[in-house]
Amino acid sequence: MADESINKGRRRFLTASTAVIGAGGLALTALPFVKTWLPSARAEAAGAPVKVDVSKLERGQRLRVGWQKKPVDIVNRSADQLKWLKAQDPRLRDPDSREPQQPKYCQNTYRAIRKEWLVFIDICTHLGCVPDFYGEVKPEPFDPQWKGGYYCPCHHSRYDLSARVYQGVPAPLNMVVMPYHWVDDTHILIGVDPPAGSPQLKGPLEGPLKGATA
Amino acid sequence: MSAFTQWFNERTPGLGAVYKKHMTEYYAPKNFNVMYYFGSLALLVLVNQIVTGIFLTMFYTPSAAGAFDSVQYIMRDVDWGWLVRYMHTTGASMFFIVIYLHMFRGLMYGSYKKPRELVWLLGMLIFLALMAEAFMGYVLPWGNMSFWGAKVIITLFSAVPWIGDTLVSWIMGTVGAAGLYVPGDATLNRFFALHVVALPLVLLLLVVLHLGALHEVGSNNPDGVEIKQHKGPNGHPLDGIPFHPYYTLKDLVGVGVFLIICAIIIFFAPTVGGFFIEHDNAIPANDLVTPATIKPVWYFSPFYAILRMIPSKGLGVLALIASILVLFLVPWLDRGKVKSIRYRGLGYKVALAIFAAVFFLLGCIGADLTPGWITAVFGPNADITSIENLFGRILVILYFAFFAFLWVYTFFGLERTKPVPERVTTHA
Amino acid sequence: MRDMTLRASVRTLSALLLALAVAFAASPSAFAEEGGYPDANINVHDQASLQRGARLFMNYCVGCHSLKYMRYSQMAAGLGLTEQQVMDNLDFTGAKFQDAIVSAMPEADAEKWFGKAPPDLSLEIQARGADWVAAYLKAFYLDPSTSSGWNNTVFPNVAMPFPLWQLQGEQVAVMNPPEDGQPGTVKGLKLAHPGSMTPAQYDEAVRDITAFLAYVSSPDELVRSHIGAWVVLYLVLFTLFALVLKLEYWKDVH
Repeated sequence: MADESINKGRRRFLTASTAVIGAGGLALTALPFVKTWLPSARAEAAGAPVKVDVSKLERGQRLRVGWQKKPVDIVNRSADQLKWLKAQDPRLRDPDSREPQQPKYCQNTYRAIRKEWLVFIDICTHLGCVPDFYGEVKPEPFDPQWKGGYYCPCHHSRYDLSARVYQGVPAPLNMVVMPYHWVDDTHILIGVDPPAGSPQLKGPLEGPLKGATA
Repeated sequence: MSAFTQWFNERTPGLGAVYKKHMTEYYAPKNFNVMYYFGSLALLVLVNQIVTGIFLTMFYTPSAAGAFDSVQYIMRDVDWGWLVRYMHTTGASMFFIVIYLHMFRGLMYGSYKKPRELVWLLGMLIFLALMAEAFMGYVLPWGNMSFWGAKVIITLFSAVPWIGDTLVSWIMGTVGAAGLYVPGDATLNRFFALHVVALPLVLLLLVVLHLGALHEVGSNNPDGVEIKQHKGPNGHPLDGIPFHPYYTLKDLVGVGVFLIICAIIIFFAPTVGGFFIEHDNAIPANDLVTPATIKPVWYFSPFYAILRMIPSKGLGVLALIASILVLFLVPWLDRGKVKSIRYRGLGYKVALAIFAAVFFLLGCIGADLTPGWITAVFGPNADITSIENLFGRILVILYFAFFAFLWVYTFFGLERTKPVPERVTTHA
Repeated sequence: MRDMTLRASVRTLSALLLALAVAFAASPSAFAEEGGYPDANINVHDQASLQRGARLFMNYCVGCHSLKYMRYSQMAAGLGLTEQQVMDNLDFTGAKFQDAIVSAMPEADAEKWFGKAPPDLSLEIQARGADWVAAYLKAFYLDPSTSSGWNNTVFPNVAMPFPLWQLQGEQVAVMNPPEDGQPGTVKGLKLAHPGSMTPAQYDEAVRDITAFLAYVSSPDELVRSHIGAWVVLYLVLFTLFALVLKLEYWKDVH
């Protein structure tokens, strides 16, 4: 059958161009299939920011909310609780929060935007347990000098009321403060940094929050 | 031979031979016409169903409580999920279009005749497995039509003498009082397992056997002549050409045109007016509300019409089974020596044309299109049921008459054939 | 020989083009919905119409009917609205932007008031068709014999009261005379007390709600048609290249 003049160059060119076009099409077809693995709208909704009304939370109390299937604790620290924080520094692993366990604007003794308000993810940095809240300033069986904080019943790790880890416990790091900000004086939006230029980025602010940005 | 090919061949001595046998040195007749595209297209659709099916399985929930929601989850929440699902639903219907045309090609050119009886039988088994696969797949979205379709079709098994009731209960996995069974979670779960694992494996195996059997005996062609009877000095059939590159490239053109049709459906009319995706399946399964008309998807409608036209449950089921099984017997019913319709007697041509029309019209009855036609022709007060039954039963008789005719026509030598050429005619 | 191959290819192509035409004819418009309702004449690509429909739905329908398969965020994308616009103007249930559009009415109350819970309308158009929905919304009339005081010629004895009566006004039935002791059937509807909209305005409002519901039924439709044209264009190009390549190689075959 192969006879006369087979134009090999023409065949090579046509084969190559058809192959390139076909491969391009296949790659473009594969793209949607790859994209089906991206977080779905349901997953996005499950990971969406959570707005919390904290107006009912008394001083010294704590409120737990869920965010991205994780326990987020909000503690309205009393003056009594606050005054002991600085004094804990010598007993802590990372008193100045040098490890990146919080956003820049929470890198302070209070690990907070507003001095009174601790907002963090209550998951132990040891093995992921959920430490219990022991808010009262009083001697506890696990620590006679207890000044309030979190205690993990599983492996006995202890944290102060800024969720900073004590020395001599299995947990290596302070607990995580996730991005959040104050929408107004009574609402916290968990999961979103303060908007650019907001005074909240400076933290810690004292007293009622003035000039909060929505 | 490139260095890589050589490296590869040295390490897989068998593979190169297989490739040669089935591609570059598989000699296919050079006179294939448009009817010969559908084999490779069926393979393409099978691949599409497997790939899109795997992705759907990643997001689908096989439970009565979650199935319907998970389909909407795929359609709306999963990135591009709608595309994957529409490719799968469109693929299902296109599969049957392609397979029906492929089978009709076999009837036109006598591709089931000696020495290709086994190819035909394996093909029929593929068709059976495909029907089971499609039926179970249709149940999975757990819409109202899925539910009632499953209920009606499984209840057909109650026509089996003595063990019918037990059989229905066993298939559904549910308990029913007085022989009234309702599909439930158990049904959905086993259908899911069969649809996504068992039947695809069966289909793949059968396809390999079908192709293996074909390549042993070689392809038939529109002239119905055996090209192996005339070989050239190099030992290859004079009228044959290597499958690769000639038919791979020709099929590539067919694939392109086929994909254009599929893309138009997927992107512009994925439900095809309720034929590919039925309206009643947009309603979640509800065991208290029957859809206005329970009808299977279009590709089952000819067989469903045969069931409906027989005024007896047992006989109806028997007729349904017979209408499929009789196709297995075609290689032995047809005693004619001439394969291709080009050289067969006028009787065969007319009979096959009538058979195709009968199959189409039965499909229209099964898809419930006929009431509209009947009122259009006979006026608004026409007795739809009796007119439909009259025509439908004639069609059922004609369906089976085709096979009877085929045997009588050829067994008693009534056929007046034309001379078959020695070599293929390239009036292509 | 060459032109024979070409002729075969042309024949092949024309046969497949015929199949293409069949596929086109099978598009929804070719198969009129059964029941013979007038064409709803909607356009889901008319964003303004969808937005008006969404506003009507959120004002008059979502009190009872959910669209549980649609999220506010997805609706915002489809309707070309910002999060702020949706939360301020369309989200009256206090749901989050990412949440599904779910009616605030508890199901138990609904069953008590209407006898059965109002259905979710996410897939209403897929199930019944746009023409049915549009006809239904225009077919309510006053009927003292029902518990809600309303009846509907498209869906007789429907449990749903007519929420849009302030817009359309109140229709009454014009009855056929009774026959053989049977009560007369409804011959037609007549507007007894006009509403805040003229009949033409009301028709537009129904068109908008129906278009919105059609979009909610298959939100993919807005994306599909855009991509589809490019996919088909690509496939035509690919097929042409494949055809030229095939013809080149088939020069060998005599």
